[in-house]
Amino acid sequence: MVTYPFLMVKFPVFTHIKSRLKADFIQTNLKIYEKDLLAIREAENTLKEKSVAEFREIAINFRKAFHLLGETPQTLIKAFALVSEAAFRSLGMRPFDEQIIAALSMSKRQIAEMQTGEGKTLTATMPVYYCALFGKGAHVLTFNDYLAKRDANWMQPVYNLLGISVGYIQESMTTEEKKVAYNQDITYLTAKEAGFDYLRSLLVTDKDEDFRRNPYFALIDEVDSILIDESRIPLVIAGEADNFLEGDFYNISNAVGKLQPETDFQKDEYELNIFLTESGVKKIEAAIGCADIFDGNNKLLLTQVNLALHAHFLLSKDVDYIIRNGAIELVGEFTGRVMDKRRWPFGLQAAIEAKENLRIQQEGKILGKATLQRFVNTYPHLCGMTGTAKSAAEELFTFYNLPVTIIPPHKPNIRIDAEDKIFSNKEIKLQNIITEIRKVNAKGRPILVGTQTVEESEYFAKELIKKGISCEILNAKNDEKEAEIIAKAGMMNAVTISTNMAGRGTDIKLGGELGVEKEKIIQLGGLYVIGTNRFESQRIDDQLRGRAGRQGDPGSSQFFVSLEDDLLQKFGINELVPKKVWAQDCLSGVNLTIVNREVDRVQRIIEGKNFEIKKTLLKYGAFIEMQRQIIYQKRNEFLEGTFESLLKKNEPYSFDRLAQKVGKKALQLAEKQISIAIIDKYWADYLEEIDQLKQEIHLVAIGGLNPFREFQKSTTSLFERYLVEINNQIVEKLGKAEITASGVNLEKEGLKRPTSTWTYLINDNPFGDKLEMILMGNSNIGFAAGAAIWWPLLALYFMVKKWMKK
Amino acid sequence: MKKFFTTIKNIFSIEELRTRIFYTLGFLMVFRLGSFIVLPGVDPSKLNEASSGFFGMINTFLGGAFSRASIFALGIMPYISASIIVQLLSVAVPKFQKLQKEGESGRKKINQITRVLTILITMAQASGYLAATIPAEAITLTNQSFFVASSMIILTSGTMFCMWLGEKITEKGIGNGISMLIMIGIISRFPLAIIEEVGTRGTQGLLLLVLEFLALFFIVMSVVLLTTAVRRIPVQYARQVVGGGKKQLGKGQRSYIPLKVNSANVMPIIFAQSLMFLPSLLSSVWAEENDTARYIAQAFADFTSLEYNITFAILIILFTFFYTAITINPKQMADDMKRNNAFIPGVKPGEQTSDYISAVLDKITLPGALFLAIVAVLPAFASAAGVSMNFAQFYGGTSLIIMVGVILDTLQQIESYLLMRHYEGMMKSGSIKGRSQNVPAF
Repeated sequence: MVTYPFLMVKFPVFTHIKSRLKADFIQTNLKIYEKDLLAIREAENTLKEKSVAEFREIAINFRKAFHLLGETPQTLIKAFALVSEAAFRSLGMRPFDEQIIAALSMSKRQIAEMQTGEGKTLTATMPVYYCALFGKGAHVLTFNDYLAKRDANWMQPVYNLLGISVGYIQESMTTEEKKVAYNQDITYLTAKEAGFDYLRSLLVTDKDEDFRRNPYFALIDEVDSILIDESRIPLVIAGEADNFLEGDFYNISNAVGKLQPETDFQKDEYELNIFLTESGVKKIEAAIGCADIFDGNNKLLLTQVNLALHAHFLLSKDVDYIIRNGAIELVGEFTGRVMDKRRWPFGLQAAIEAKENLRIQQEGKILGKATLQRFVNTYPHLCGMTGTAKSAAEELFTFYNLPVTIIPPHKPNIRIDAEDKIFSNKEIKLQNIITEIRKVNAKGRPILVGTQTVEESEYFAKELIKKGISCEILNAKNDEKEAEIIAKAGMMNAVTISTNMAGRGTDIKLGGELGVEKEKIIQLGGLYVIGTNRFESQRIDDQLRGRAGRQGDPGSSQFFVSLEDDLLQKFGINELVPKKVWAQDCLSGVNLTIVNREVDRVQRIIEGKNFEIKKTLLKYGAFIEMQRQIIYQKRNEFLEGTFESLLKKNEPYSFDRLAQKVGKKALQLAEKQISIAIIDKYWADYLEEIDQLKQEIHLVAIGGLNPFREFQKSTTSLFERYLVEINNQIVEKLGKAEITASGVNLEKEGLKRPTSTWTYLINDNPFGDKLEMILMGNSNIGFAAGAAIWWPLLALYFMVKKWMKK
Repeated sequence: MKKFFTTIKNIFSIEELRTRIFYTLGFLMVFRLGSFIVLPGVDPSKLNEASSGFFGMINTFLGGAFSRASIFALGIMPYISASIIVQLLSVAVPKFQKLQKEGESGRKKINQITRVLTILITMAQASGYLAATIPAEAITLTNQSFFVASSMIILTSGTMFCMWLGEKITEKGIGNGISMLIMIGIISRFPLAIIEEVGTRGTQGLLLLVLEFLALFFIVMSVVLLTTAVRRIPVQYARQVVGGGKKQLGKGQRSYIPLKVNSANVMPIIFAQSLMFLPSLLSSVWAEENDTARYIAQAFADFTSLEYNITFAILIILFTFFYTAITINPKQMADDMKRNNAFIPGVKPGEQTSDYISAVLDKITLPGALFLAIVAVLPAFASAAGVSMNFAQFYGGTSLIIMVGVILDTLQQIESYLLMRHYEGMMKSGSIKGRSQNVPAF
């Protein structure tokens, strides 16, 4: 008997501990799929002899039967067999066993880890087709618009043959076009756009305006990138607002730009925070003509100074952002690509624009906000696939309840991952990389160089051209050419220098699309991947390595590390290496196991920390989410017209008077319009206040209180005040409004809705909050009392602590 | 009163909270039961009552298991010392420092180390315990070395079991496990003390009894005040421009740093208490020939004497200042604030800020210390006023402060659950809820 847990399991809020105990978040036992696999192959064999017409009929009848009878133990087998056969008939591709197993694991609500080039797009068709049969819409969330369009078009023949409709969504589409695409059985779209549409649908003022269906099933491609790297970034929908920046930001920015490091300002050890010294304060006060910048009334001014400091000295051009067409574009830390529609939180964005002497862009008022994490969790059924999930398995399981199944490649991976080469300083490392490139390039073997920043990629390109080696460069500045450059990266003699953006979704094929001189390249050893730095996460390292050795091709990868690299310096790894070795081996690369081990450890530390931070943020977010749902429910009642009149309840006399004057229907319409406008307005205000509170609440930990509990208390009282205020406002506005048959003129009533809205993402919190402080629990008295009994030990502890500080 | 009952009803109507409370009660029951099981080979009737002083204090925290030579005689105390040692190591030893920073996996390793260390410490303490507290005549086994070996193994397993119980309470129950175990030990004397008190007063002393309970009530209330009192220092954040929300409803609730009036908690009392046996011990050496020494020895042997209590109070006040000075570091607070671009309005960051915080701290520490000293000597006064010894203990001192602290903390946790419930109740229809996230509430 086959069971389908993913379609039956309910998820009560507090199963957390239980599920953790049973947690087996990495699954490698594929034996359990054997029976299903055989059954699918068998069913497929019976389909092979059928004519095209017969096959179509079988598919259509199957769908009808499914519609009538619903899911039975045999439906999954049959559906997969149908897709497999349809794929062969329409595209000439029959899924391998590995692909079918991956599809089976995904249909059990899991994440399938499949290497690059193993055919994820085709694999996805099986679970997606199956879930589309439920008639509630199945989404494939892709990494970018290009892939949504490409994959939808590519797989369309398969779906068409099966009598299933498919559509895709692009950011540039109109609401009408989107509505059509959303109403197909299967829709390919980016996770981001789906999230924005979700936000838009929460703001509709009329039921007919909602162009989405309720989320039902999503298969997420490159799931680690979406659910981990980008999960925390809030998607934002904004409407225009008054500009509330006071003073001249350019002037402040100029003054700040003249400050000297160390004497005027200081950074903390991880360069996450920056602050003025006394001399800096004096200089700034003189420059902007302010007597005491720390006066409570000058808070905005001080904020602008701090933001300008951050913009000038913590963020740099061509590393964190680039300027293109007179606008700031953010560069992703992990991907190295321009982050589409990404902005820094307001203020900081303006500060950078002031620093670069660009026009300060309007920000607008945030009307709605959701992280990808929250949005994705609105789907009752989720699954995903990626090439690098293993090292993030615990996180994926904790946040999304998705275990990872590791699918072996169809042909064994024979890529050689060499041990890191370690150099004492950066200069020597760079020279050695260039020498290595020259040496390998001389034989014609294709090389991919993965760099950390745009700046670095440009440095290599320049140096190589000096040495007479032609190379392609791929970074945030020319990412529109990505597909074209990647297509050529596997050719003979190719040298491609790229930030770590190279190919999510697109493969580097040896010899290019046509496989020119492929045999010769294979003999040379396939693609050679050089990493110029280790990244902060092992996953990102693995991704770069994974560019080579696709589908059993040969290939190799090599990382170059120097003791002066940021990662090693930040965490003091360089100090672990004996000074003797520094001097001794400064010219030849050496394998220092200790360094390798430490780099791995640091990566674990960073990931562990991020994990903790995400858990905390989720806890705070989940609390606000409950409040949002309450508000949304209220709003929905107004939207659907099922509400009880607040005016009638609170001021029955004026309700009767108005109802007589304009008619009950008009009055109801007016109340609906006014209520929705007021709810939206106040919710936006509330979000702003909460944001502020979230940032500041950790201060209570200094006094030994539990920040989360304080947050709960504060927001609850605030939320209740807002609820009361919303009610009062509705009654008050409605009582005074000018009501006609078509309701009220919102603009006249001072409730103008923004005429235009736009969407963007806020960059990951760049301010490096002291989140450890939020994590810090309350003091616990029993332990303290017990500890006090061992006071000599305690005394020793404090003495050592004090001494260590010195 | 009605509100009280609806709250109780609410608590038990939340399934998760209910199971957590039952779990806690179950675990605590097992813990109490264990502390009555006497070590094999010991005749409990021949044991000495634990003296006051150091052993007496430990005995209070362990709910009598210590003097009863039970299998939980060492309780979680060795675990606490192991934790302090590990903390010490993670301050002093770089390798431990790194482990601590390593997130989940590092924490697991540190826990492992703490446990192993707990075993070692328990072994050491167990042999000391057997030698110091169990008189030879109480041992019924003839083979002395067998008794020592078996008892050491049993005591060690007992401690590990208590530790496990504590962890389970934290994980599956409510409140902090270690604190709960210590509190239940202290509170376990309460019912008996009441019965005893009611018994001795009888019907004639009814008015007196009512007065005693009234006094107790007011003392508990003032300890609650002492525990929760904070001085709020207003703080502003200059880091992010917050949008057009000029008419924010929450404008009044600015950010603040809450400085606790009693940040030293019970620590000063325990410190002072552990020193109070010294005067009588020292002076008893010369008591034979010296009148003053004899006088001191007598005065300090009686914990209700004026001399004892005045010295005790002064020590507590001194230790409060001392402990506050060690643990609260205004300089670091000011530094933290500077790094976070937070400031106290009108006060410059850096030195000015730390001076300001120090000044505030000085102002609130003195009343806090005085109050703490009064609470600490109250049991002596109660006893002097005629309340029986056992009952008088609940009139203040460490017992009361710990109980109030643990109960307040646990109540807050329950309150959090009730709040969640409140919201869930407001979200009546489940249609828009979507997939629940796999998040614990706390």
